[in-house]
Amino acid sequence: MSGNQSTHRAVAALGIAAALLAGCASTAVPPPLANASAAPVHPDGVMDPAAAATAATGATVSCGNPVASLRPSGTLPAPGHMPAGSTMASIAAKGHLIVGVDQNTYLFGYRDPASGQIVGFDIDIAHAIAQAIFGDPNKIQFVAITAAQRIPYVVDKQVDLVADTMTINCDRRQQVDFSTVYYNAGQSVLVRKTSKATGIGDLGGQKVCAAAGSTSIVAIAAAKSHPIPVSVNDWTDCLVLLQQDQVAAISTDDTILRGLAAQDPDTKLVGGTFTSEPYGLAISPKAADFVRFVNGVLEQMRTDGQWKAIYERWLGSPAPAPPPATYRD
Amino acid sequence: MVPSAAPPSPPAALPQGDHGRHAIPAAHDQHGTFGTAIRSTPGRMTTTLTVLFLVVLAFGLLAVTGAAQRRSATDHVRASSGPLTVQAEILYRSMSDADATAATAFLSAGAEPPALRSRYLDDIAAAGSALVAASTGDIADRDALGQISTELPVYTGLVETARADNRLGLPLGAAYLREASALMRSTLLPSADTLYRAQAARLESDRDDAAGSPWIAIPLGIIVLIGLISAQRTLARRTRRVVNPGLLAATILVIGALGCLTVSWAVAQGHLGTARDTGSSKVEAFSTARIAVLRARADEALTLVARGSGGAYEKDFGAATATLTGSGGRLAAAQSGANATERADAGAAGKDLARWQSVHTAIRHADDGGRYPDAVALAIGSGPDDSPATFASLDADLGRGIDAANTAFDHEAGLAASAQNGIDIAAGVLVGLALIGLSVGFQRRIAEYR
Repeated sequence: MSGNQSTHRAVAALGIAAALLAGCASTAVPPPLANASAAPVHPDGVMDPAAAATAATGATVSCGNPVASLRPSGTLPAPGHMPAGSTMASIAAKGHLIVGVDQNTYLFGYRDPASGQIVGFDIDIAHAIAQAIFGDPNKIQFVAITAAQRIPYVVDKQVDLVADTMTINCDRRQQVDFSTVYYNAGQSVLVRKTSKATGIGDLGGQKVCAAAGSTSIVAIAAAKSHPIPVSVNDWTDCLVLLQQDQVAAISTDDTILRGLAAQDPDTKLVGGTFTSEPYGLAISPKAADFVRFVNGVLEQMRTDGQWKAIYERWLGSPAPAPPPATYRD
Repeated sequence: MVPSAAPPSPPAALPQGDHGRHAIPAAHDQHGTFGTAIRSTPGRMTTTLTVLFLVVLAFGLLAVTGAAQRRSATDHVRASSGPLTVQAEILYRSMSDADATAATAFLSAGAEPPALRSRYLDDIAAAGSALVAASTGDIADRDALGQISTELPVYTGLVETARADNRLGLPLGAAYLREASALMRSTLLPSADTLYRAQAARLESDRDDAAGSPWIAIPLGIIVLIGLISAQRTLARRTRRVVNPGLLAATILVIGALGCLTVSWAVAQGHLGTARDTGSSKVEAFSTARIAVLRARADEALTLVARGSGGAYEKDFGAATATLTGSGGRLAAAQSGANATERADAGAAGKDLARWQSVHTAIRHADDGGRYPDAVALAIGSGPDDSPATFASLDADLGRGIDAANTAFDHEAGLAASAQNGIDIAAGVLVGLALIGLSVGFQRRIAEYR
């Protein structure tokens, strides 16, 4: 009897011990994570290398003199009295002029953080056109668009015109019409102050940034030294890449580059301009009367000193002579 | 020399119907084989006792270990998986809120409002401490945690660069803000989502362990009962005594142990089921809803920061808010099967969502109509009908819903733990006593044969 009882106790004790052990969890310290190193971060929409640019097509399209536009028809109508049935009358009926602009091109089209307004050289030109239609430069709505959206927005009539550092060339003339030249720029190169490059020719095999859909990215891809084109959505993204050491240079119109250099004193423009980039306002080809009207406004601005004032406000004095107008009719 | 004592006569209770096999007292049969001994009545009784003892012992061990395991699983849920899931949710939500707050602060031209700045800093601090809390526990996905902790400082660095450039009046600031937001959305938030889902899945499996049924112990216990009862009936026939106190006691004790096990399991399982239905599943519904509204809020601000080129952000706003409404939406999921507090919170969230969406529509209308300053005023204004105030009450409703669900979970898990409290000891004691009763009951009968 006592033997059985002691057996019972022993077995019960074993059972309880087993139960306690089953509840124990391991408390080992987990090992540190392997390979903790910083992954490179870059802006949204960076393509490295850039997609084969669409302007690989049609660099050979010929259209005569691309900068020749439509002659203004006589005197300008007075503000608020647009001819009935004209494009300007329908704009006046809407109550504001819709203009596609950039919000990231310092000095030409950018949002001033203090006031929250978009300001710049192109913006002032657009204000002058609104003034000519409405008598009030502020009857205007700006739509900030990317470089790639400039032509589609004009063609789809989402905007009345685009004032966005847009180079006139024959490819673009297939889809939109342009005003006369209002600024002569040229493509140049921006590098860090410590860089030894003196132009696009020294950047072979290195990454050079420009906005997708611009003529600049095409020029980079076509450069004889074969740099690697890297495309972004907005121009300031290129400066971010340059500051993060992810590209060696930015190449685009000297106007845009001056705006970027003004935001980062550690950069410099090198090599002068290696292309000619005449800027025009993009307008729908179906609105020929509006093209003539805009050319009339621009001609007035060349002669009455308004162009000079805008130049000196944004790009310093003394202002050069305004680019002359060329007409095809 | 005294002749050896006469052999003891067979016990008087020996039934007549013993089919030819009569008990041969062991003292007499000095040359009996083991087999004969087994086949004798005391031998068979001893065999029956041994078998029953082993089976009852097995039942007892299974009952005790099973109950102890379930209790420890419930404790693990309350002490480890539950709190870690809460931390994973806090991490996800505070990073989302930081993204939305940084974008909203950026919209305020000129000086950044101090309230938004301190909210952003609080969010980053909350994310940091959630990271620490999650890393000291047994978190389900350490790689996701590692990725967040390496990338979060990069994100905050980009936000500070954006602020510094914005202060200098440079458009470069907006580019850094967009880069920060892209990093948050492409890397940090998906990692936090992976972490949360892994941790919630682990919580669910731990909860299943705690609510598991004793599917061997209870049938075994029933077999034990059958064995005990049939043994008593056989003994009653053989020994002509209806009641064997030891065996009867053993039977009652085994019934008691079975009852303890079954009742404790049923109650605990019920509470753990409620803990899931009104607790962890509602936390998931409310917190995914909250993540979606935070994402939408960031989209609203970023569309305005992008100033016309933010079409993608506005589309994302529509997609995020679409997941909330409707019969298959997250708010509906938060309401079905919830308790009263949770239903009230989900209902309030639905109303506030409608109000916030109408403010958003007004913002889009103003922006698309060229009245950008009006749109920004609605988006960051301090009036009761502006976006920040309506969004804040929506966010508060969802936050209260999460708290209510967490409280419900803790409460129910606590009740489950107390239902399982001490069951292993009780079962062990009852079965131990049953073993004693069983042995005593049999030994008394076996001794009558000696």
